[in-house]
Amino acid sequence: MDFTFSPEHVALRRMIREFAENEVAPIAAEIDREGRVPFETLKMMGEIGLLGVCFPQEYGGMGAGETGYCILMEELGRVCTSTATNVGAHIGIGAMSIYLDGTEEQKQKYLNPLARGEKMGAFVLTEADAGSDAAAIRTRAVREGDSWFLDGTKTFNTNGSFAEIVTVLAVTDPTLGARGGITAFIVESDTPGFEVGTHENKMGIRGSSTAELIFDGMRVPHENVLGKVGEGFVSFMKTLDMGRLTLGAACLGGAQAALDWSIEWAKTRKQFGVQLAHKQSVQWMIANMATEVEALRSLVYRVAWMVDTGQPFSQLAAMCKMYGSEVASRAIDMALQIHGGLGYTRDFPIDRAFRDARIAEIFEGTNEIQRIVIASNIFRQHGVRIRP
Amino acid sequence: MRIIVVIGRVLDPEGFVVNRRRGRIFVNREEYLIQPADRCALEAALRIKDSRSVDVEVVALPRCPLPDDDVLRLAVATGADRAIYLTGDGVAKADDAVMARILAAAVERLGGADLILTGATTMDTGQAQLAPRVAEALGWPQILDALHVEAADGRVTAILKEGNGYVTVETDLPAVVTVPQDTVKPRYPDGVRLINVYKREGEMATAVEEWDVAGLVDAEALQPLLEKRGQDFPPERERGVRASGTPEEMARAVADALGQRV
Amino acid sequence: MTASYLDLLMAQQEEVTEAEGGGGGIWVVADVVGGAVAPVTLEALGAARTLADSLGAYVYGVLLGDGVSDLAQKLYQAGADGVRVADHSSLARFALAPYLKVLSDLFEGEQPEVVIFGATAQGQALAPRLAQRMGGGLIEHVVGATLDEATRTVQGAYPAYGGEYYEIGACPDARPQFLTVEAGAFPVPFLDEYRTGEPTAVEVEPVEPAVRAVGLAEDFEPPPVPLAKARVVVAAGRQVGDFDQVEPLAAALGGQVAGDRGARDAGWIEPGQIVDVRGVMVAPDLYVAAGIRGDTFHNAAIEEAKFIVAIHPDADAPIFQVADLCLEADPRAVLPALLKALE
Repeated sequence: MDFTFSPEHVALRRMIREFAENEVAPIAAEIDREGRVPFETLKMMGEIGLLGVCFPQEYGGMGAGETGYCILMEELGRVCTSTATNVGAHIGIGAMSIYLDGTEEQKQKYLNPLARGEKMGAFVLTEADAGSDAAAIRTRAVREGDSWFLDGTKTFNTNGSFAEIVTVLAVTDPTLGARGGITAFIVESDTPGFEVGTHENKMGIRGSSTAELIFDGMRVPHENVLGKVGEGFVSFMKTLDMGRLTLGAACLGGAQAALDWSIEWAKTRKQFGVQLAHKQSVQWMIANMATEVEALRSLVYRVAWMVDTGQPFSQLAAMCKMYGSEVASRAIDMALQIHGGLGYTRDFPIDRAFRDARIAEIFEGTNEIQRIVIASNIFRQHGVRIRP
Repeated sequence: MRIIVVIGRVLDPEGFVVNRRRGRIFVNREEYLIQPADRCALEAALRIKDSRSVDVEVVALPRCPLPDDDVLRLAVATGADRAIYLTGDGVAKADDAVMARILAAAVERLGGADLILTGATTMDTGQAQLAPRVAEALGWPQILDALHVEAADGRVTAILKEGNGYVTVETDLPAVVTVPQDTVKPRYPDGVRLINVYKREGEMATAVEEWDVAGLVDAEALQPLLEKRGQDFPPERERGVRASGTPEEMARAVADALGQRV
Repeated sequence: MTASYLDLLMAQQEEVTEAEGGGGGIWVVADVVGGAVAPVTLEALGAARTLADSLGAYVYGVLLGDGVSDLAQKLYQAGADGVRVADHSSLARFALAPYLKVLSDLFEGEQPEVVIFGATAQGQALAPRLAQRMGGGLIEHVVGATLDEATRTVQGAYPAYGGEYYEIGACPDARPQFLTVEAGAFPVPFLDEYRTGEPTAVEVEPVEPAVRAVGLAEDFEPPPVPLAKARVVVAAGRQVGDFDQVEPLAAALGGQVAGDRGARDAGWIEPGQIVDVRGVMVAPDLYVAAGIRGDTFHNAAIEEAKFIVAIHPDADAPIFQVADLCLEADPRAVLPALLKALE
């Protein structure tokens, strides 16, 4: 067993860390306060190839694999969860869906500009009545000749308000449900009938865009069907699995940041004549945080390795997301306690990190869904098919 | 046009702690950075390359003995066309005097160059002698501590600090120019180049060549002149020293303390 | 009591006559600034004298410039046994090629044991080229020197990582041994006004400088330094009294203006200038806290400062627990005095 990163991944991490500290971290508080997406930073990332980190070079990507993508998400999560969210939606579900299911023509036409960061991507699934119950979506796609016409409203969509290339899931056969009735479409956002609705006013990740999208008689050519008609939902599950791993990586970064801040403050802050580091209760909190971070790190990069070597990873990816989001929440909660009153002021990054961390237990598949996925996988291996 | 950039590495100061009382350096994390001033020199070279319509080749060479070629690969990933990694017993103990001879010979083996750019000083030793030594070994003019560099029409033009203002100077190529740190914002490496140069794939497979210095200079020229004889430590920090007397006397005490801080 | 002091008591002049026979010696190349010998040159002569006395060698000074012959006496006063003067119009301002030619020819003939320059633009340009040309060793930015008498080798201490510690180097075999010394590192020697001498003129072959001046770069502005990276910070707090005194002090020290939260509340500084864990963490070589009481959150933000001077009227102000130099006084009185003292 060799737990070392390869030289290219070591070099990549160094480059991303420097970028994150010089370009992303200095504006993290500002984009949270102003509730704006840092387009200028995303552009810089695109220029050096980060927005296509995991895709092969023949499609305009960097060729650093899933491990490279986890490194990117970890380093971004360490300094700014909003930016990690923008990037994750673009690479991990937007571009990824086209990479996993697209035809060669579709990859050249759509994946290439996404991987180069020339265009931004998004994946559009969730509706008001279809969150965890994703198969209950009602956006309808009706075929006429070699076009499809889409009607419906999507909610809580990340990046959809500015992405140029968007993968949309819509119902093509209402009688069939998740298996056979839902199709994925690649949509260019300047298509007539594509409208951006209300922007959500969120508790956290305020530097990312979460908005409603409304499709009104939007025409999509048949050649933009992603994968096979009726198989959209099933193939989306693959994309979602990858996304779970990398969200775990972003949570790892956030937890590490919480730990680092806590260690610094424990060194600096003196009460009762000694530094907090000499107080057992603080020591135990730090020890707990550090152990969970190490466990999460091992899990995330092991799963990244499994993806890169073509092994099945679905159950473990769900564990990464579930455990990662809860480790991050616990870590930032402990960090807040260690920082005391200082941590509670909005001039200090803990407030933002606290609000940002909480969403990880909710989006990309709630932790309840993750637990069902994990348990289902376990029992199936033992011959029991769970009926939800 | 060929620009040579001389790049070195330095131990990350964030990774070690100096204990003045015990007179020891405790290295908690051994990690190396590219010398910050050399990185600015590379950026200056790449800006010249970007601005020219004529082909410019940027070649990275090491400033000091390197146990691995990591820092040269990073230079290529950032935009240098190629790098030469110097190996062999002769380079392992080289000091600036020896490196100057080796680099001069390497430049000749490359077929000459128009401009050599490197950092003005090193972060660890604070020595600025390598570049002028190289210039002397090649018999080229030098411009030190250039805050801005441009090269065109067989000349290099630089802006230097002088007194409270700045002056422009120029000299004919070939020349050696040094750049202090924090003068330009260095660019980030290109991701695709980075992956390929570290994986040694594609066009990047041969980007870093290895040359044995035995083939460049004679054994006598490889004898280092400078011997390291240990370290010394500043006195422990004494906080809470009170200055007393009239405001003028206090001001005098401050001025003296500042004057003594070299 | 030294002979020269006795002469002084007897108000007798000492005329230095140079010994015959060349070779060796501790040589100091003078920097001339504003028509006078630069302080760093005198300091270098002091260091040279100390080395020479232990080695049983002579100290020589070299003056280059235009109309600098009179400055030779200053070198004798500082301890030189001999002075060479290259006085020529082509040397009026420092330029590498003309100065290098003079020194190279001189040193080829004289074969010094040690050559000392000030660590100035001039010294830093000349020393490495001479060293490379003559096969000599060079240690730059020396702040302390000891002598390995057995091998007649100078051991020079030079700052590492900006002064975190000092490296000690020596060139046991290479001759000459070149050094450039930091201004202010060595003490200015006693200038014995009764010590005089007859300098020797050096022939100067005018040489064209390779680097040509083009003109002033009037539009050039170097990239701005963020407060977090400033080398000198002068910060004000509520008790500073008169905030208008802060800017001139910062300018005199070459630093940036900052403050604590109180200064922000008073409207004197922008939010981006607040030194606090909730604001900007600074790590300057020099931090002056004028009228800042210094609570935990401010003091934690200056932990990386190398030298802290605090001025506050209240003896119990917490800033005095972290400051290196503490001035219990009203900043209104001290700041103007400080500005004057720095001139």
